Amino acid sequence: MSPSSAGRAAEPILRIEGLTKRFGGLTAVDRVTLAFAPRRLHAIIGPNGAGKTTLFNLISGFLPSDEGRVFFAGQEISRLRPHRISRLGISRTLQVKSVFQQLTVSENLWITAQAKRGVMNPFRSTSSYRDTCEKVERVLEQLELTRLADRQAGTLSYGDVALLEIGMAIAADPRLLLLDEPICGMSPAETERTVVKIRELAQTIDIVIIEHDMEVVFEIADDITVMAQGAILASGSPKEIAANEEVREAYLGRPEDEDYTEEPARA
Amino acid sequence: MIARTTIERGLLWGTGAFLLSVPWLIPALADRFWVNVIAEILIWSLFASSVNLLFGYVGLLSFGQALFFGFGMYGVAIGVEKLGLGFWPALGLGVAAPVAMAFVAGVFAVRLTWHYFAIITVVFSLIFYFLALTMKPLTGGDDGISFTLPSTFRFGASEWGFAQEAFQYLFILFTVAACLYAMRRLLGSPLGKAFMAIRDNDVRASLIGLNVYWLRLIAFVIAGFLAGLSGALFAFFGRYASATYMFYHVSGEAVVWTIVGGAGTLLGPLVGTSLFIVIREVVSTHWQHHSLIVGAVAILIVIYAPRGVVGLWRDLLDRWSAPKS
Amino acid sequence: MTNTLIALSINGLVWGLIIALIALGLSVIFGLLDIINLSHGDFFMIGTVIAWTVLTTTGSFWPAFLLAPLVGFVLGALIQRIVLQPIRNAAALSIVATFGLSMILQEVVRMTFGPTPRRILPPIRGTFDLFGIDYEIYRLFAAAVSILALAAFFLFLHHTKLGTWMRAVRHDPETATAMGIPAQRVYRVTFGLGFALAALGGVVASPITTVDFRAGVDVLPFCFMAVIIGGLGNLPGTAAAAVLLAFLEGIISSFATPTVARIASLVLMSAVLLLRPQGLFKGLTK
Repeated sequence: MSPSSAGRAAEPILRIEGLTKRFGGLTAVDRVTLAFAPRRLHAIIGPNGAGKTTLFNLISGFLPSDEGRVFFAGQEISRLRPHRISRLGISRTLQVKSVFQQLTVSENLWITAQAKRGVMNPFRSTSSYRDTCEKVERVLEQLELTRLADRQAGTLSYGDVALLEIGMAIAADPRLLLLDEPICGMSPAETERTVVKIRELAQTIDIVIIEHDMEVVFEIADDITVMAQGAILASGSPKEIAANEEVREAYLGRPEDEDYTEEPARA
Repeated sequence: MIARTTIERGLLWGTGAFLLSVPWLIPALADRFWVNVIAEILIWSLFASSVNLLFGYVGLLSFGQALFFGFGMYGVAIGVEKLGLGFWPALGLGVAAPVAMAFVAGVFAVRLTWHYFAIITVVFSLIFYFLALTMKPLTGGDDGISFTLPSTFRFGASEWGFAQEAFQYLFILFTVAACLYAMRRLLGSPLGKAFMAIRDNDVRASLIGLNVYWLRLIAFVIAGFLAGLSGALFAFFGRYASATYMFYHVSGEAVVWTIVGGAGTLLGPLVGTSLFIVIREVVSTHWQHHSLIVGAVAILIVIYAPRGVVGLWRDLLDRWSAPKS
Repeated sequence: MTNTLIALSINGLVWGLIIALIALGLSVIFGLLDIINLSHGDFFMIGTVIAWTVLTTTGSFWPAFLLAPLVGFVLGALIQRIVLQPIRNAAALSIVATFGLSMILQEVVRMTFGPTPRRILPPIRGTFDLFGIDYEIYRLFAAAVSILALAAFFLFLHHTKLGTWMRAVRHDPETATAMGIPAQRVYRVTFGLGFALAALGGVVASPITTVDFRAGVDVLPFCFMAVIIGGLGNLPGTAAAAVLLAFLEGIISSFATPTVARIASLVLMSAVLLLRPQGLFKGLTK
């Protein structure tokens, strides 16, 4: 639990209490307690296997937790199914980029924007849903994807897929956005473009981001939580984390810390 | 792209005009038994469309659609022969029975996906196939039930019914065309897009807030409707119903027709069904071993045109119409 | 009554062992190549036809035990190379391809062997007294051969290089390829072995059932039931499920029709699929 972030707002957007997930003998997420204050960009970092993605899976209802509770804007969501949680206003992206391959870019956004509002009408044409279509146009413009609107998602470049993925996450009008390694595998130019977009989004949406690229994390995050072996190692502002001895130790001598050590060179 | 859609639209109008004129054109130009062959192609392509809806648009490979086809057939045959119903009530029964069955079967089946889904649909259809075999008094077992045709419309002294070849053909044509048109509307609707989202990525679909289970169940029931309606039409067309049409081979043929024609395209099932039934009709008059050719064509298509005949056609046209890119 | 019960349940047991052989082939092909092989029943049928051909041309039944698996293996390897390798592991396409294959195999047999079912007399005549009923000696022999073949197959899988490769490729094809295992050749051998097992099952079963170009159509669903109830890819489970199912159907047939018995096992199969999709025996073996 991070006192610095918990103290700032009366009600955290997301509150996690003693969340635990075991896979056989392995405890992937170990009694994690966290609170994310609204209007701040939170980053979760940690070596591979630290349980970051599992934590996202638990929050979004993708895996059932063994113990603990999750509250979203004060409402308990621990036992809800993924599509219910999504409809409450939590969007997430997946680490392995996954969009609807055979749908076009705008269809991808359309179905995401419409999903919560009801999709059971079998006769009305999608183009007659004015609100949803406008929303799609806005997101296309916001992410500069308009020129790709009619392309099949399966034919996009990697960086464009990643942008579309973020676009889908915001097309759903979420109150909270969970981004799982949004820039992983991108070229430097794509990374820069994406980071700018994430920053813009953070003006209006609460964001929690898992990221390996330390340069990016320290550039954009307001608060950072460090996980190791399923548990929380430290929480605090980027400055506090950078100065934390334990965090440095956890990263030293691991192949995953390449990003971290290379940081000065790239900067 | 423009060239392709223009060519395709032309082809579509041409095919439509041809299909409409069949009852008059065929007897003038060829053997009149082709009218009934084309009627049969239309019925079976409606059946294949139910596989196509599930596999091509929702990503579920059903190997048990014959179950609903059989329920459609028996709904009509039992309705006419045992309950003494007229044409329309019997048709209603032939649609309601498979839809109800699809709902019950779907509640269980769509909990599974992929191989497991394919297998449980076969299992369900086999259970009812064997049940139909044992319940001889009701179903006639292997021999089936024959019935006398009730008339469809009656205005005073004049009657219209399946006994008139042209009426029978046009009734089938309009029913199948209406279903395909409704399916086209469906594919452009929110429900259709939700189906395709699930087909492309069911995990992602549930993450954006779609109720994957419920949507799959809806698709399964719609597919049950299509298969059931085709079975009901086939019962009127053949004046009988038989358990043999519930065997898994019938389901399997629909899967083959769909994939060979082009799964995930509206007209793929029609193309695939036409291809195989025409081969069968043409070859079987000269050579009784037409299955050899059917099997070989199926294999060649999946090897050389994995997206089916329609996919192949589109690739070729796109290459031809856009040589620059 | 008790006599028929005993006879039918022992018949079920014998039949189950033969089915186990065929289902094992199906399961290996499924587990390794991810192919739902709809032509597998016809592989069995080819075995019965080979047995009939060998018997009528040479006058002796026994060479079929060698010839059928051999022909089956070669045919299987060829089919994998020509038909299945080009479509890779696209499961839906492989279903269509094996369906087409099934039509071709049946039609070729109908052309050459003819459409009328025939019977083969057991090569070992005579009966003996089993709990008060006269029981055919050949059936016991058939059971023994099946058990031997099953044992040989499991020994092969666990004690030869090829068997280890097959298990490795099944476990993780990418790593296996990276380690230098020729995955394509392993696939080919696997498909060949699957065919060989089914053909051998056909030979063993031929004096008990009829030789008919449609024989595979009835056998296929039963094999799938064994594979599902045993757990997809779980080989010992598949063998056990085949025996269990046939035994149960044998017992049920003693007081109801065989069709009712078949319905009962299909219902059991649905329950397994819905409640324990990993199969009944998960946990007993890796």
